[in-house]
Amino acid sequence: MRSIFKTGATALAAATMLSGVAYADGHGVSGPLRIFSDMSNPAPRAVMEDMVARFTAENPEVEVELVITDREAWKTQIRNVLQSGTADIVNWYAGNRMAPYVDAGLFMDISDLWEEGGLTETLASTQGSMTMDDGIWGVPYTYYQWGVYYREDIFAELGLEAPTTWEEELSNCQAIIDSGRACYTIGTKFLWTAGGWFDYLNMRTNGYDFHMDLTAGEVEWTDDRVRATFENWATLIEMGAFIADHQTYSWQEALPFMVNGEAAAYLMGNFAVAPLREAGLSDDQLGFYQFPQIDPSIEPGEDAPTDTFHIAANAENVEAAEAFLLFVASAENQTLINNGDNLGQLPVNANSGVDDDEFLNAGFEMLSNNAGGGIAQFFDRDAPAEMAQVAMQGFQQFMVDPSTLDQVLQILEQARGRIY
Amino acid sequence: MFPRPIEQYGQGTRVAYNAVLPLALLVWLIPLLAVIWFSIKPGEDFTTGNYWGWPENGFQGITNYMTVFTQSAMPQYLWNSVIITVPTMFGAVALSCMTGFALGVYRFKGNLLIFFMFVAGNFVPFQILMVPVRDLTDQMGLYDTRLGLILFHVAFQTGFCTLFMRNFIRALPRALIEAARVEGISEWRIFWFVVLPLMKPAIAALCVLIFTFIWNDFFWAVVLTQSPESQPVTAGITAFNGQYRAMYHLMSAGSIVAAIPPVAMFFLMQKHFIAGLTLGAVK
Repeated sequence: MRSIFKTGATALAAATMLSGVAYADGHGVSGPLRIFSDMSNPAPRAVMEDMVARFTAENPEVEVELVITDREAWKTQIRNVLQSGTADIVNWYAGNRMAPYVDAGLFMDISDLWEEGGLTETLASTQGSMTMDDGIWGVPYTYYQWGVYYREDIFAELGLEAPTTWEEELSNCQAIIDSGRACYTIGTKFLWTAGGWFDYLNMRTNGYDFHMDLTAGEVEWTDDRVRATFENWATLIEMGAFIADHQTYSWQEALPFMVNGEAAAYLMGNFAVAPLREAGLSDDQLGFYQFPQIDPSIEPGEDAPTDTFHIAANAENVEAAEAFLLFVASAENQTLINNGDNLGQLPVNANSGVDDDEFLNAGFEMLSNNAGGGIAQFFDRDAPAEMAQVAMQGFQQFMVDPSTLDQVLQILEQARGRIY
Repeated sequence: MFPRPIEQYGQGTRVAYNAVLPLALLVWLIPLLAVIWFSIKPGEDFTTGNYWGWPENGFQGITNYMTVFTQSAMPQYLWNSVIITVPTMFGAVALSCMTGFALGVYRFKGNLLIFFMFVAGNFVPFQILMVPVRDLTDQMGLYDTRLGLILFHVAFQTGFCTLFMRNFIRALPRALIEAARVEGISEWRIFWFVVLPLMKPAIAALCVLIFTFIWNDFFWAVVLTQSPESQPVTAGITAFNGQYRAMYHLMSAGSIVAAIPPVAMFFLMQKHFIAGLTLGAVK
């Protein structure tokens, strides 16, 4: 992956960084700072350790104690850690996933820090997903876009343009099917890929706020608006838009259909780009478009799973913790940790630089300027884990046989009654 | 003798045997052959769907194995495995030589009870120990350290080793020990100069067995360690299984590398390995 920085953005980032340091110095932060992180995979772990090293270099008075826990194990440990008061700062996720800890009063409201640190401007794209009950509960350090990755060469061959409306989408898809291909490849063996489709169809049909209410368990699954979403989905399924036997493939095993030209597009996260390029697709063959609108009156909501830092409500060294969060949120830090040599994702800070990469640029642009509806975290993060499991199972079943919709919705509605 | 040698069967059975054996062997080896095949294929073959065919742009075996060694923490993981396996092997075998000697030679009250406790420990399914052992290691400050893994393995393997050693020592002629006592040799020297040399085949067999057990351990490696500084290679292979994407070709190459030491150990020490499987069983 190329990693050429935009020099302008870097300079800007450096300037923003200075103000961050000034804030930290102004408070003269010192003392022990206990950080519990879930960045346990090799690359994120190196990023986390490096962030602590750079923060300590700037704030030599602070003694950081860093505990990195396995990412999966952390999901069950975070509550204990927060309740026992052993951490000042913890890693977590944005959106509804914060709810249990916000409701239990375990996260600290840092709205003031957002105001004073200018984060309401630099991190504007995620302010909505960090806000809950009129408070702001953390800062994001990375996210990545979802969207439709498509074969530009196949579209050109058939004389198609990237669709922006549902009508264009359907007529494109018909043309692709008539050429003997599937419109979309997908592998639903591990279910979550179907969650992505539901997210987008529901956000385009009913809007971001409705989608959030639904995943928060406040709307019945048998609601007519939910049915409308599934009807749009059924339109695609019944015209043969998706590859056959998708329930037997993982997301990676579904890639060959796109590479070999048997399917024209893939609704996926940006991590799909690396293997597609390795498989020999050039940037001329590969394109990206935002999921088309369905109801023109609805602002587009986007899936961009966001990883975050939070201050524990019972933190002992709040000043150092605030300084660390400002450091994390700074444009310079976000540019660095998200570049191709590190996380290879998108910085949240709007002043950050992005690697000179067609898809990162497109995603950064889309999330910063064209996600007016709001940023969702992906189905299995927005809905509680148990609900997500049942629901995604239902999505898969629906995709295999759309006539089972009533049965699927009944199961989901029962699960909603039990889980929330 | 059981099983009956194949030569003693009729003509038809032998022909069928000769025909089916290679086939069964092949079926048995398919997973392993698949891993070897994947380990020399380029990564893009998995994205183009060319799983079994000839790679279009040639094999990448050398590149894959070089990547495993130079661009991942694999050398560190391998070294961790050595650091964990070798002390465990020595620790468990040394301890069990002594416990085996004590339980096999001396007659004292509770001898059998203590022996049964060692044996009973083997019957505890280790999965149920997962949570308490993890908590214990954590409280002792040994979580995510190689020492924590070594200590646990030594403790857990000593039970099996003691069973093995005690039975082996029981089978030694007691006259040898009594003759030494008549000569007025101290008990410690009897252990060192009389019994230990006789135990060499058992020690060799046990070392090979324990080496293989510990090297191949995945469960405890995952439960008790999680950083590249302390994880052995069995757990480290999952590092190629990124947050989003599995690197099948590198994972395969890494698996082959991880499997070489125990396989080499088996072929080099085959005699002891098979002896080890039967030594404890006969008595």
